[in-house]
Amino acid sequence: MASSRFKPYRAVRWAIQLAFLALFVVLFGLTRYGVEPGLQNLFFRIDPLVLLVTSIAGRALVGAALVSLVLVGLTLVFGRFFCGFVCPLGTTIDLADAAIGRRRRSAPVSLPGLKYAVLVFLVVAAVLRFSFLGFADPLVIMERSLALVWRPVAGYLFGWAGNLPAAGQTETLGAALVFVAILALGFLARRFWCRNLCPLGALLALLSKVSLFRFRLAGECRQCGVCSRVCPTGAIDDARRTLDAGECIECLACQYECPDRSVRYRAGFTRTRFDLGRRQALAAVGSAVVLAPLARAAVYRKLQARLVRPPGAIPEPDFMNACLRCGMCMKACPTGCLQPTVFEAGVAGLWTPRAVARLGGCEKNCNTCGQVCPTGAIRKLGLEEKTYARMGTAVVDRARCIAWEQDKHCLICDEICPYDAIAAVPDPEGRGTALRPEVDERICIGCGLCESRCPVDGPAAIQVFSINEERVRTGSYITEEKRSLRGCGQSKPEEIPSGFILEE
Amino acid sequence: MSDLSRRDFLKLGLTAAAAALVPKALMGQESEKVAGPAIGVARGDNAKLVKAALGEIGGMGAFVSAGDRVCIKPNISFAANVECGATTSAGVVKQTVEECLAAGAAKVIILDHTIADSTLCVEKSGIEEAIVDPKKVSLLTLTQERQFGEVSIPGGTELATVKVAKAVQGADKLISLPTAKSHSATGVSLGIKNLMGLVWDRGALHRKNLHRAIADLALVIKADLTLVDATRALTTGGPGGPGKTVQLNTVVAGTDVVATDSYAVGLTPWYDKAFTGRSVRYIVAAHELGLGEIDTAKMDVREVKV
Repeated sequence: MASSRFKPYRAVRWAIQLAFLALFVVLFGLTRYGVEPGLQNLFFRIDPLVLLVTSIAGRALVGAALVSLVLVGLTLVFGRFFCGFVCPLGTTIDLADAAIGRRRRSAPVSLPGLKYAVLVFLVVAAVLRFSFLGFADPLVIMERSLALVWRPVAGYLFGWAGNLPAAGQTETLGAALVFVAILALGFLARRFWCRNLCPLGALLALLSKVSLFRFRLAGECRQCGVCSRVCPTGAIDDARRTLDAGECIECLACQYECPDRSVRYRAGFTRTRFDLGRRQALAAVGSAVVLAPLARAAVYRKLQARLVRPPGAIPEPDFMNACLRCGMCMKACPTGCLQPTVFEAGVAGLWTPRAVARLGGCEKNCNTCGQVCPTGAIRKLGLEEKTYARMGTAVVDRARCIAWEQDKHCLICDEICPYDAIAAVPDPEGRGTALRPEVDERICIGCGLCESRCPVDGPAAIQVFSINEERVRTGSYITEEKRSLRGCGQSKPEEIPSGFILEE
Repeated sequence: MSDLSRRDFLKLGLTAAAAALVPKALMGQESEKVAGPAIGVARGDNAKLVKAALGEIGGMGAFVSAGDRVCIKPNISFAANVECGATTSAGVVKQTVEECLAAGAAKVIILDHTIADSTLCVEKSGIEEAIVDPKKVSLLTLTQERQFGEVSIPGGTELATVKVAKAVQGADKLISLPTAKSHSATGVSLGIKNLMGLVWDRGALHRKNLHRAIADLALVIKADLTLVDATRALTTGGPGGPGKTVQLNTVVAGTDVVATDSYAVGLTPWYDKAFTGRSVRYIVAAHELGLGEIDTAKMDVREVKV
């Protein structure tokens, strides 16, 4: 083990890593209503895996992620520096590894080929039209952990106001387990995730194998073995005296720890092995061939009419492919309306956003979810356009509604509806004095504000279903008919509220 | 009556002079003295209405003393644009805050338990304009149950207890600042209805007899002053809009919340039909609980134009 004496190179590297981690967290914090959307999804835009897998699976180029070609170019020149310096999950793993310290298994578990198998699996599944990227991309895992686990936990601990996804539910627990498991793998080897599993690491490793600059064992060497001991990714083979540029995350440890100063960063090619075995490759292709159609089949089956997607969500199969399950939309949603799906959209739909109106409606004046979505799974709609993007339709359950069933002068649903889609009508059979709520499905867009405020205990007496949802990739949701049905004083004449005593 | 400033004195003099020049018939029954509650009604320049209406009933100094902690409860319950008429106009809130500070209030807290998301309500209502002095004036959105404390309602007909904002319970004075608007369930939403924004579980009122439950609130949440913002009234489509709005350029001030509400009902037709306080169930219920005067004829209405 390297001694814990102060080492300038380590201080510099920690500083850079923590700065990028801090940037990641700050951008996460800025992902909210009221902050001009811009760079919040930066990390996903520089992720070449998003560009590759999402574009292939959706058969549509993810334009926002074209920036990631810069990272591809930089990696081709400088190697896999992203993993060693930039990746926020990598930094978090380093922190966890430091905490694990000596309790780690002495012989590191090294399965470098596995990460290529994960990459092959993702790409083949994408070719077969399903993206499993949300389950494997390190940046997604990091963002989702912040959105679904750490922010709610911090919210409860510090009593922050606002609507938080409810921690402790299945999907939150799932996200927490993934995160904790990745850190716990540090007991088996340092940077276990990065060297053995990470598909982004695999992609960058492939590029690094042909990168212009790389670390190499070049000078005089007394074969002391320090370099391979300090290497966190097992990139150095003592016996053969080689350094695998694909495995190297350029952490600088070997270069500065070598007593002979014989590790050099130079231009030029060195031979590296390709670690993906034939069996692993076959297993990856085989499982992709089985799982991708299964996952796709699940998305076509709409058993769950209460599965309501965010406003402007593209058609369901495309949505499932484009959605990274990063949780940015849910973090940004000011009302807590957007919540992670558990298994309502099949296992493959885990962590995709859904509108849970009972927890909060979709605010008329907010379009933040689509603005921050990195892949366009939720379209970037203007405010007015968003108010016409129909998510579903509200349905009154007359048996539970206290106006219909108990003649209560309630009408909170009508009160809160910002589109005037709920009419207050006298009982058609002349029972009682209270006006009854009735939904005009031509106007209702399924925002669910009514459901969120319904005073009936438990499930609301007015609920949004995905009935009539509008899911399109392009074009406007606004039509002349829709527009004419809306607007101040243009709708049908209103009944005199039952709060007035009318003299006949 | 508080001290009159010179400007007020001159204004009063001018008004009196003008009144003397106008035939009596046009002035209504102003000269007849009525023993009932005083109602100050100001019409005209929206930027001056609060001071003018208050001037008719003694000025803010008659209600707020030096060193007071004052809670102001506007209605900013909906994330609707100001023109929609669903929220109290920020200008009226600002004038009220300024009057409170001028009267020597040590602290002014503007608060509401909004129906729509509080962040959006604050943004759309433009209410932050009313924070004229950040050291003394604060905005409090009531979003969590712990901000409310339970109080019992002796004599309540529908509610035995209700959870009321602690900030109000700890304040010296409460000023209710509703906007005049229609309401799909209660007909109109005015001063008494505005008190619903100070309780935690609004749904509980809807599950009871809504109108009597609202009146019950006025038994325990006593506004020292009610200022009805009728600069713009939403006469249909309330309480959240969209609906028809009319410019009334009026503010009604009074200490008797039943009287101010009852008077304000008559300011304009609602749902294209003329009503009085007697035709609004919750106002009638509050009157029957002995909370105030409902007949406008028995009120001492003092009108002023600015």
